[in-house]
Amino acid sequence: MRKFLIALFLMLSTPALADYTMIVPQKPGGGTSVWAQIVATEMEKYLDEKIVIKHIRGARDIPGFNKFHNELQNDPKTIMVSHGGNGVSFLNEKVDYNYADYESVGLMNLNIIVASRKDHNPYGGKKTAFAAGSGMIPEGIAMTLLKCGAGLTTEQYIDCFKRKVNWVKGMSGGERRLAFKRGELDGTRENPAAFKKHVQPTIEQGVAGLWFHHGILQADGSHADDPNYPGYQMEQLFYAANRTKPEGDLYAAYKLVKSFRDGMQKALWVGKGNPNKAKLIAALKQVATNPESVSAVEKKVGKYQWLIGNAGDAHRDTLMKLITPEALSTLVKFNNEAFGIKAVYKDTLLAQK
Amino acid sequence: MIEMITALMAGVLYGLLIGIIPSAGATTGLVALFGFISYFVHEPYLGVVFLMAVVAASTTGDSFTSILLGIPGANSAAATMVDGFPLAQQGRASYAISAAVTTSTVNGLIWGCLVFLLLPWYTNLLMIIGVPELWAFTVLALATVGFISTKFWFRSLCAICIGIFLGMVGVNPETNEPRFTGSWFYLEDGIQLMPVVAGLFAIPELIKGLFNRTKTATIVKSELTEGVKEFWRNRWLGLRGGFIGAFIGLLPGLGGAMADWMAYGSAVASNPNERFGNGNIKGVIGPEGANNAQKATSMIPTVLFGIPGAPFAAVLMSLFMYLNFELGTPDLAYDTEFFTSMTFGFLSATVIVAILCIFLIKPISYITSVPYKYYFPILLAVIVWSSMQYTGGWEDFVMLAVFSCIGFVCRHYKFSRPALLIGFILSEKIEKLSIQMFALYDIESLITRPIFMVLVIFIIGIFAYSFIKKGKIDYA
Repeated sequence: MRKFLIALFLMLSTPALADYTMIVPQKPGGGTSVWAQIVATEMEKYLDEKIVIKHIRGARDIPGFNKFHNELQNDPKTIMVSHGGNGVSFLNEKVDYNYADYESVGLMNLNIIVASRKDHNPYGGKKTAFAAGSGMIPEGIAMTLLKCGAGLTTEQYIDCFKRKVNWVKGMSGGERRLAFKRGELDGTRENPAAFKKHVQPTIEQGVAGLWFHHGILQADGSHADDPNYPGYQMEQLFYAANRTKPEGDLYAAYKLVKSFRDGMQKALWVGKGNPNKAKLIAALKQVATNPESVSAVEKKVGKYQWLIGNAGDAHRDTLMKLITPEALSTLVKFNNEAFGIKAVYKDTLLAQK
Repeated sequence: MIEMITALMAGVLYGLLIGIIPSAGATTGLVALFGFISYFVHEPYLGVVFLMAVVAASTTGDSFTSILLGIPGANSAAATMVDGFPLAQQGRASYAISAAVTTSTVNGLIWGCLVFLLLPWYTNLLMIIGVPELWAFTVLALATVGFISTKFWFRSLCAICIGIFLGMVGVNPETNEPRFTGSWFYLEDGIQLMPVVAGLFAIPELIKGLFNRTKTATIVKSELTEGVKEFWRNRWLGLRGGFIGAFIGLLPGLGGAMADWMAYGSAVASNPNERFGNGNIKGVIGPEGANNAQKATSMIPTVLFGIPGAPFAAVLMSLFMYLNFELGTPDLAYDTEFFTSMTFGFLSATVIVAILCIFLIKPISYITSVPYKYYFPILLAVIVWSSMQYTGGWEDFVMLAVFSCIGFVCRHYKFSRPALLIGFILSEKIEKLSIQMFALYDIESLITRPIFMVLVIFIIGIFAYSFIKKGKIDYA
């Protein structure tokens, strides 16, 4: 009873007692929002200070990050949470925020895994029905490369995509999962933890199988096979089918967009020169090593490594190096002409390298 | 045990409060708990009891403001308001509320128990109901608008068209380009439901009350038992509403408001010789049957698959995640304490809130005899607070102001506000489901789906019927 009353008191007094504010650019209940709450709760244990989550919502999760950039980055008590979708928008859309302007507290370098139904041949037969959306751009390009083979021009890949992929628009995550289970969609993709929850059971029932994954971004800008799903990296499957490595502008665009989405799938940022940065980094290092905290975070995203402090900044710099005029312009072209996603070419990004 | 009862009672009181707050509802109430839920981490099952109590209590509590003030406690309670508020104005508030609470409670208990019997069948149902069937159910819900149009059928048609248009503001799901946003980035996420409901219904009623300087109504007499008896007389109507709500709850993503309006439409359709919108108790019992049942059954897709059955369930799911309950995973299916806590929380809260409401009906009903000027500022403050849960910025104020103006105009010129709301809620869903359906199916494959075809026949029938028998509702 006493514990409960204390909890009730803390509920009412929490905002007043808060030391830090974590900005989540998403509605409560979203994947990143849950991740942020878990990480904040774990960090509080080592900081011995309160962290309150503030959701700043808006179209494609851009307004929250813009607000941090324009108004809050100099506040020493504000931490920004970003996710893979922010990385894709950074490449394609007019946004105010710019990763180069902040310092990394830490980030998680994740991978996304794609499955296809057993009753569907992903390399032939009917079009592959797959849920569309800006978050699916890397899957759409990888599918195109795998289905259409080597040595095509971007225009030919666009044409091939239209012939071989049924890009089903207007689906939410939940609808996509159900449609895959029902067999309306031929493929689906998830982060490792969600894959285990939503797709693994269908694989165990013999209904679906692993198709490919994107690999894990390395310090030199290459992608390595995921030890959780060995042998299914897109590049490996492409090589096995075509006896040549994937290359060309579309592959460069694919590397760029998958790196910005998965390489900074979940990240914490503070403004440059933030006096609390060292304290936050120290707390996050504890989260990344304490078994109890590690298990709490892994439950949400799977077993992947943290890149903390300088390692996070270096990782961000690696990503920036992937921005080339060819990769960026091909990405924009493919988005506009194949996916029907309105994308803009931002030559200002080239100056970030 | 004492801790469990405390958690239950705290959930009931908080849920009841959040239900009564105009325009808020279960989703807003649950969102406000994010900063608090981590305190249950070491007692996670207490947290489950608390959260389920919040859901059950807020769903019953939202009838109060709908009936007493003509301001929906949640968007799903707007249907109850259409006949409930006129009853309050006639001095029969306690009669309407007791009928609403009884219907809610009975359906909450029935479907709260049945949820566990339905679990083994659910996977099969999910495999039968595909995108075409979801599309048909949503269009069927839109068809109910025919039953809630006023005698000014052309104005009702205009209202639904405006609603559909407003629902399409945002980003075109086909081309991904901004649509009807006037280059205002804020609108690219679509217009939020909260300011629409608050602006259309709450603010016009509040301002009208203030300027008329009147009471809502005079309590004629306490008719507590009469409301309960009325439920019994219309039990099949209430149970049918419960069935509609339960079925919609089982289908992920369709949402509570749709169930309530379908139940209301079925109440109107099954009583062709009666008028609605001017205080017909059947217009209260019909939709009230749907909302608790929908809340109960929408837990099935949420728990079994981790796929939220309604907006409130999405928030609930992430609150559970903080408590280390990963919904949709096989491990949870074997956690009997989790299921026991959920059932205990939902069913006990349903009973407790009913008892509380019975005691509270009489005193709370007296709010209708209090001059508006006393509670106008308080209500206005909570309505504004509810509407500012999106960005919290000036844009939210602007949206509330715009929809308040639309609400005034509609009210004054008898453009059906419920029709506008239904059009708004459903247009985005229908558009997206249409895109999905035509991307995945052709006509040949659609006509081989029996459930889809039956629903299409129903839709045509309902549209035809409502065109012939137009204009039966007095409420606009």
